[in-house]
Amino acid sequence: MRDILKMLVVLSAICSISGFALSYLKMITAIPIEEQVLTYVQGPAIQKVFSDVDNSPVADRKKFTLSDGRTITLFPAIKNGRLTGVAMENSGKGFGGDIGVMTAFNPHNDTLLGIGITTMKETPGIGTVIFEPRFTDQFSGKDLKNVAPKAQGGSFDAISGATVSSVGAISAVSNATKDYLELKPEILNTWK
Amino acid sequence: MQPFLKEFTKGLWKELPPFRLVLGLCPVLAVTKSADNGLGMGAAVIFVLTLSNLIISLVRHIIPKKVRIACFIAISATLVVAVELLMQAYAYPLYQQLGIFVPLIVVNCLILGRAEAFAAKNPVPLAIADGLGMGMGFAMSLTFIGGLRELLGAGTLFGKYIMWEGFQPFAVMVEAPGAFLCLGLILCAMNAFNHWQARRKGQDAPENPMPGCESCRACSHGK
Amino acid sequence: MEVFQLFISAIFVNNIVLAKYLGMCPYLGCYKERGVALGMGGAVVFFTIMATLCTWYIQKFLLTPFGLDYLQTIAFILVIASLVQFVEMFLKKMVPPLYAALGIFLPLITTNCAVMGVAILVQREAYDLKTSLLYAVAASAGFLLALILMAGLRERLDVCRVPKAMMGTPIALITAGLMSLAFMAFKGMIP
Repeated sequence: MRDILKMLVVLSAICSISGFALSYLKMITAIPIEEQVLTYVQGPAIQKVFSDVDNSPVADRKKFTLSDGRTITLFPAIKNGRLTGVAMENSGKGFGGDIGVMTAFNPHNDTLLGIGITTMKETPGIGTVIFEPRFTDQFSGKDLKNVAPKAQGGSFDAISGATVSSVGAISAVSNATKDYLELKPEILNTWK
Repeated sequence: MQPFLKEFTKGLWKELPPFRLVLGLCPVLAVTKSADNGLGMGAAVIFVLTLSNLIISLVRHIIPKKVRIACFIAISATLVVAVELLMQAYAYPLYQQLGIFVPLIVVNCLILGRAEAFAAKNPVPLAIADGLGMGMGFAMSLTFIGGLRELLGAGTLFGKYIMWEGFQPFAVMVEAPGAFLCLGLILCAMNAFNHWQARRKGQDAPENPMPGCESCRACSHGK
Repeated sequence: MEVFQLFISAIFVNNIVLAKYLGMCPYLGCYKERGVALGMGGAVVFFTIMATLCTWYIQKFLLTPFGLDYLQTIAFILVIASLVQFVEMFLKKMVPPLYAALGIFLPLITTNCAVMGVAILVQREAYDLKTSLLYAVAASAGFLLALILMAGLRERLDVCRVPKAMMGTPIALITAGLMSLAFMAFKGMIP
């Protein structure tokens, strides 16, 4: 009996000490981790969609709240003191899981500036073709009325053989478009 | 000082972890596509191994014998989570490169094996020396294999191109089969060296080291 | 169709041992007889599926809702360790013949990175429960296949003349490398 009691005490002591230590460490590292994720996961996609900027879109990011309660982070691109684009990350359902897509909009004429894939877990060799320019380049300069795959009456091609992944990415863009249109007045108030 | 040094240096050559004690091979094969990755993984293992040896040696008298393995696992898992957090915060690209092999340090037999075979039986300073030595030996070996595979497979070392112009890289070395072939040949060279050394001293050739179940006494296979 | 592709990919193209390097210790370890390899492989199949199921629920209903994602590693290893302990006790009491056959492999499962690796992989890939279980079945079947093939090859190797320095682990690693090379050819099956 004493043995069992001792075992329980020792095990729970070890677990609680490690729990406290880890939650403390988590608190300290939370901010650097967020910075790192933004730099290395979202960063490359942002650089891709904004080719020519003066500011650092990651450092100038700002959180906005949508009417349905979601908060979303927007990355502004500023050139010569003027807002030239905003980007946001949104996700759509792919075959193996969610596909994260960074979508950039031009707020002056309501067109798409471009998209970049941030995270995806698609089957290597199949779904990954949506990383390629033949998929991502078709978005630049398109207006926001018809964001859907061609099969559903929209204006974007799905890559044959990777339909699920393409449609997932397009739906991420279309979600982003909805959020963008809702936030547009606020965006134009925040950055000039 | 003498025993401290002895425990420290044995990990660097006499009991060099992946080559002499054939232990913890998964990361040795998986993350050695480049010297950078090998070094990063090695650093993580040094951190976990040294601290887990230290803590286990500190608490070795209060841990009941029956639940010692569970305690060791809990302690090393805590340290691995700490490494994961620190790596995400300060070396994110490395964290992405190493992938699931960072959390899998917890099931690396090297950690549990040293805890059970050494740290649970020895005082704190010796346990630290053992952890540091073994960890550094492991890191060295990983960097060595990583460097070799990177050099032959891509012609680079730590990301810099150093082979002569017109060098045709053996692409297979950075693919999965290359890892097996490379480690197999290194172990073969190591055995040949041991045999040669024994012959020179006029002794019988030693047995080739086998995958180290016997060094990891965490399971019933180790006697 | 995509389920089929996942299956083929997990067994052949991305074989958990030969392409992802998980579960190396039992693979290169002491299993020279096919029967023993079958026993170990069977135990791994069983525990991979069980562990994936348990850890999937723990992640979904415990870790994610409370924002404890960072404790994933510690939670998973403790779940796997207690699962193994529990099954061991259960078999000992209820099915002694099975325990006699599989008992010696059970403690090895806790430190088998294939089991833990699959549990973490399906979380990283954000698979749903059905896909996770399918992946667990396919990945562990791939493990079993590699283990049995290796045991068969080593039985043959025992009667071959191998250079002294190559005996034991080095020749096993070279064999594994050639096998992995052969499995790489399956890449063509996924367009």
